[in-house]
Order: sequence, then C-alpha cells, then structure tokens
Amino acid sequence: MTLQTELESLLYRVEKPGRYVGGEFNQVMKPWGSVETHVALVFPDIYDIGQSNLGLAILYDILNRQPDILAERAYAPWIDMETQLREHNLPLFSLESKTPLSEFDILGITLPYEQIYTNVLNILDLAGIPLLSNQRGATDPLIIAGGQACYNPEPMADFIDAFAIGEGEEVILEITHIYQAWKRSGTAREDLLAALAKVPGVYVPSLYTVSYNPDGTLQAVIPHSNHASSLVVKRIMPKLPQPLTHFIVPNVQTVHDRLSVEIMRGCTRGCRFCHAGMVNRPVRERSVEEIITAIKEGLAATGHDEVGILSLSSSDYTQILPLTQKIYREFKDAQVRVSLPSLRIASFSVELMDELKELSPGGGFTIAPEAATERLRAVINKPLDEDVLLETARTIFEHGWLNLKMYFMIGLPTETMEDVQAILELGSKVYKIGRSIAGHRVHIHLGISTFIPKAHTPFQWYPMDTPENIQTKMDLLKRGARQAHLKMTYNLPEVSQVESWLSRGDRRLGAVILQAWRNGAKFDAWSELLNLQAWQNAFARVGLESDFYTLRQRSLDEVLPWDHISTGVSKHFLLTDLRLSQAERTREDCRNRCYNCGILDCFESIRPAQEEVYWGCP
Amino acid sequence: MSESKFRYRAVFSKNGDMRFIGHLDLQQLFERALRRSALPLRYSQGFSPKVRLNLAGALPLGFTSTAEMMDFWLEQPVEPPLIQEQLNAALPTGIRIISVTEVPNDLPSLQASLKSAEYEVSFKAEIDVSAVNANLEDLLNKPNLIVTRRNKQVDLKPLVEALHWEEDKLYLRLSSSPEASARPDELLALLDLTTEQYDIQRIGLYYS
Repeated sequence: MTLQTELESLLYRVEKPGRYVGGEFNQVMKPWGSVETHVALVFPDIYDIGQSNLGLAILYDILNRQPDILAERAYAPWIDMETQLREHNLPLFSLESKTPLSEFDILGITLPYEQIYTNVLNILDLAGIPLLSNQRGATDPLIIAGGQACYNPEPMADFIDAFAIGEGEEVILEITHIYQAWKRSGTAREDLLAALAKVPGVYVPSLYTVSYNPDGTLQAVIPHSNHASSLVVKRIMPKLPQPLTHFIVPNVQTVHDRLSVEIMRGCTRGCRFCHAGMVNRPVRERSVEEIITAIKEGLAATGHDEVGILSLSSSDYTQILPLTQKIYREFKDAQVRVSLPSLRIASFSVELMDELKELSPGGGFTIAPEAATERLRAVINKPLDEDVLLETARTIFEHGWLNLKMYFMIGLPTETMEDVQAILELGSKVYKIGRSIAGHRVHIHLGISTFIPKAHTPFQWYPMDTPENIQTKMDLLKRGARQAHLKMTYNLPEVSQVESWLSRGDRRLGAVILQAWRNGAKFDAWSELLNLQAWQNAFARVGLESDFYTLRQRSLDEVLPWDHISTGVSKHFLLTDLRLSQAERTREDCRNRCYNCGILDCFESIRPAQEEVYWGCP
Repeated sequence: MSESKFRYRAVFSKNGDMRFIGHLDLQQLFERALRRSALPLRYSQGFSPKVRLNLAGALPLGFTSTAEMMDFWLEQPVEPPLIQEQLNAALPTGIRIISVTEVPNDLPSLQASLKSAEYEVSFKAEIDVSAVNANLEDLLNKPNLIVTRRNKQVDLKPLVEALHWEEDKLYLRLSSSPEASARPDELLALLDLTTEQYDIQRIGLYYS
C-alpha cells in the first residue's frame, strides 16, 4: 500500500480530516521528479492555526516561483491524528504530495512564538528525523528555522541546523542555492553548515562555543569556525516586495480565515515592553495604490469576503485616512468586510472612525492603553493622557459602537497594586461613559496579559513578576471586574511561564525542552493541553533552576544569551532607554526625531534612494 | 419570491481528497468559488450579505459523489455552459460541475424536496463479496433492522427502497427525505463491515 492509501484509511478515524489532505485552491503541486530541490515549510501547530500564517505563505510563493525548487506544507497533527500515525507506524507527511518529511531536502520551520518548541521536536520525531542537529547525517534533511522567536535562538540551538534571523524573503533563496551547490558537490554536511554560516543573517549554532561563569551566567558565545561571525545581524527588505495575492484558500475553517494585506512593517512608537516594536525596525510602508491593487487581486484570486489589514500600528501608517477612504470607495459594493486592528488612541480621527464603521459593520472597537496610570505609561513609553483616553471612548460610543475592548498588562516593571487597581477604575469610568450614551447595551471587555521581559527590549534585564504576585493581581482584577460589570479575559499565567523560560533562556534549555517533550509536553500554547508538571520535572531532571531565567534581575554587564544576535538596535540604545524609563521619562515617536537606535548605522547603505520608498527614519 | 432573479441548478461531482471536506465547509467553498468565478452573484439581504446558494442532502464525510446538487442565484442571466466553464475554473481539483440548468424560481428548495439517494458500494479486495451478498439477503429477510442514533431507535428496513448487485458492486437506493433517511454505512455496519473495507459513492439524488 502507498502512504497515500494508508493515510486515507486513517482519515476516517480523525476529527476534521480536511486538515490533512491539502488540495486547496491556489495550492502549488509540482511533479516531485521535475525539480532539483524539495523544501517542506512547517508550521509547528495544527493546520487551523498555521494555514493563515503570512510569513510561510510568502516563502511558499517565493520558492515555488523557482523552476528548480518545489515547496510543500506540513503542520503538527492534532492528538487524534498523531495517535493514528504512531499506531500505524506512518511518518508525518506533506499536504501536497503526501511525501514523508524525511524525504525533503530542507525543512523550513517557522517559530513565531516559543510555546511551539516542543511541537517541533514532536514533528521531527513523527518524521523519523534525528532530533539533535549533531546526530543528523548526510541523508537527513537540512533543518532551518526563522520567525519572531528566533531573535533568541539559543533554547532551540541543539535542534536547528541553521537559523535565518530577520526577514526571510531574500535569504530563503540564498540558503536553498547554497544547499544545491553543496548537494552537487557531494561533500560532508559540515561543509554545508560552514557555507551557510557565511550568509549574512544566517546563524549556525553548532559553530559557536558557549562558556559559563561559576554563578551560572554566560561567559561568552564565541565562534570556533572562521566561517561564522561573532555578531549575526538580522536581514531586512529595504523595500517591501509586492504583496502576495494568490493565497491558498483553506477548505476547512481556520482562524484568521481572510485575505491578509500587510501595509507596513515595523513601528516607530518605541513602547519599551514591545518585542515586535524593537526587532522589526525600520518602519517601511507600502503605497496606497499598491495596497488597493493587492486587495483587488487578492479578492479575485481567493474569493474571500473579508480583508485583514496587517501592521503593528495601523493608525501610524502615514496615509491611513486616504487608504481607508479609498478602500471604502473601491469595495463598498463588493460585499467585503475590512478589519483594521492595532489602532492607537490619539493618532486617529473621528473621520477615520466613521470610515471604519462602514467597512466593518457590527464590529467592536479595541484600544490598548497597556497600563492604567500615567506614571506607569511613562515607564513603558506609551504616554497617553487619561482625559484624551476618556474623550476617545466617548467618541467611540457616540459613533455607535457598543463593544469596547481594552488591553492591559500586569507585572510591568515598577508596577504597584495601585496601578493594578487603576485598571478597574479606568474600566469603570469608560463603562459609565458608555452607559450614559448608549445605555445597558454597552459592554466593556478587559483583556489582561502578563508582562514578560523580552530579549532585545529595554526591559530585557528586568525579572518577571513572581507567579504569586501575578496570581494576586489576577484575583484582584477578576473580583473587581465582576463587581464593576466588566467582562475580563486573560492569558493563563502558566502559559506565560513556559513562554518566559523559553524566551529568556540560554543554550542549556535545549536539554530542558527535550526532557519536557519526553515527559509529554506538547501544544504548550493550548491552555487545555499545557503540562506545567512536565516542564518542572524537566528542569529538575536536567538540574537547572527555572527561576534563574525569569525571576532574577540581570546585571547590566551580564552577557545575555542573545547578545551575539543583532536586531540592528544597539545595546547602548536599549540601556539609555532603560534609564529613561527608570526616570519615568518618555521618548516621542522616532519618526519625528531620531534617537540613534542603531538601525540607520546598520542599514543606511541599503536604504533605497528613491523618495517613494517610505522609511520611517528621518 | 419576486426578488429572486435568476435561479440555476448545478450538478457536481466530489471525489479524491475533497470527500474529506464536510457539508458546512463545502458551503463556504462554493461561496468563495462563486466569488472567484466573477459571475453576477445574487446576495442575501441584511447586515452581512452572503452569496445565495443552497446545497442538497449533506454528503457524509468520506463518501465520493457524481450526483451532488446546488442551487444558486444570479442578478443577470448567463448562458449555462458559460457558468459551468467559469465555475469549474474557480473550483479546486476534486469538485467538478457536470451540468448547469436554469430552473424556475418557484421550485421548492432542494433540501425540502429530496426523497431518496442512490449509492454504489465498492468493496476492498480482501472482502468476500458473495458472503456479503448472502449475509445481506439474510439481513433483509428480518422483520426489522433496528439501529440506534443518538439514543433513538430507528428501523432501517422501510428505508431501503431498492438494492441490486452489478458484478462486485452493491447498488443501494435509500430514503433520504427530511423526515426519514438512512445511510448506507449504517446498513453495512449491521453486517460488521467497517468504513475501511469499502468505498461509497453517491450516484443519484431523487426529488419529488
């Protein structure tokens, strides 16, 4: 029996078998023998979550445009399918041609967040590929990884052969071409890794020696090969390429099942807690015309009736009002809904609000103050006058919205119980305003997440708040929200804990991840499947203290696990920003005034000369 | 409905991997295929307008078919062969429009007028078909064939409208009305046959 027919008999026994069969409209299916190189793009969570990932969709398109390369997709099987595969001794396969992953030349794995790491191990295991990079031989696929979590690659260094740091549009082909030359040459796998290490933005962890001080802190991470660089600088696209339009259209329901159009990369606001805002600099925008064309072509190519406008801070897009007006004019008769998330209070007008209401009728409104006192907002550099916030809320209700969602974080540096209490007070004030305008139909929703000090941010040296404190703060909010008629949702503190260990960890965490997976950890981002005991036992077994990674204030001269990876933003800038934060001083949007974060030093030479290519840097 | 404009009925096949796409997902798939086809679609009224289409008799997950039906509405008349061509170009592999005809607007809905469905059962090589034939005959000689659905007892016997063999394939015509319907796999389960031992294709839908 072929793998295909064996798989078919399993599909009758699993929930939602459409996840595993591919065959969607716009799928690219090349004959296996017609190309030289076979790449599997892997999202280490289920199809429902991973299918809409824009990064992988872009890479799929770039690779499949090459006549000598094919790219297929693979996802983590859900528990029921994994059980079937293991019971029948069948390997994990690609959706397009149902080829076992071990037969591909390259596996490109995306790591958008840390709670997906154990799934990577599970996928390699289901594919029959050795888990550890140093156990792979000439016939095993090359395992590469990219994505937002890779700015601290160390915890996954044992498992990944090479990381692509930063934006992947160019480097994916450079990596594939080096692979092709190596395969033709027929030399040892070490030669491939050495050649990859020479590519700017590619980090090959096996070429570095890590040493530790007696107190357990890092002494140094130093290359032991002259092919590897002591500082790996991320890659960026100087000009954003043409937006993708021929998206694969899923046949089964997925999350974010809509047409995605990225209008801008990066953010100039400089919120000090924000990993995305620090690592994705500089700001680059697409033109209104390019975006409108992409929406038109995308709708025609996919048949979607919903468009999601993507960016870190949509209202900071310089042409936001012309864009929404044009979208409204072009698509008002096309039965299309347009959602525009990530709006910032005080940077959008009443006019924009009305446009939005037309584009997405019946939708709610979301704002993200993140902290509820002006003092704490100064600490995190998200300044906002409370009067302005309340006035904005009033305008939102006056313009007919009934549902307002407000995002806050708890556990921020210097936070007191008064700051937490203020979340409830602010929520109540907004609720009262809403009631006075629109009566009892108004719903205020608090979204609470736990702050994790992330790598490459000004807060990277801070400890995380203790689980006990977080629990006390959550309990206070839960009680208070009920009394104040506010709806509240929150991230499980346990899920945040796994994220914090993995995002702040060094290379020794590889052993913990491996052990946690052996103890049964997988799908750590799924609160109902999270197995915290598996992680705690893994730390104990390996002989590491989890608190060492999260609850310890790191000294400013400590070597951090991610110091040999550069986002272009200098450590000096982060340090200055930390000191400003401690003085409760803010910095304004850096489009208006350059604070010399390091991005221009790093990338000035590739900045496009043409005026029409917008960079946010002055 | 005077506002219904032009109503068309498509017969389509569903096979290959598409048999693992369920009924609700198929509805969504056709909405998007119709939008991709650039035909002058008729939308529902209201807050979030939807493409107007109706599918008949949900095909169970895993069954293939050569006889599915869909009604949809257009704002302007379009030649049926042109509709077929445009729609086929917008559909994924595994779903093919076999024919399109314009139908009167006052016909009852597909779902409401469905009476019965015909299925072709092909058995896997390891199955002794003559034994299945004999067992099936014994089974149908019983006064009733009780199966349990969600704690409810249903007698399949009156729902078996016709049955015959051609070579090694079993042809079953089963009642499929909104009031009483039977699935071929329910009947085969009474012979201790499981889904891995046969393939089922729906080959006809019959209306009152």
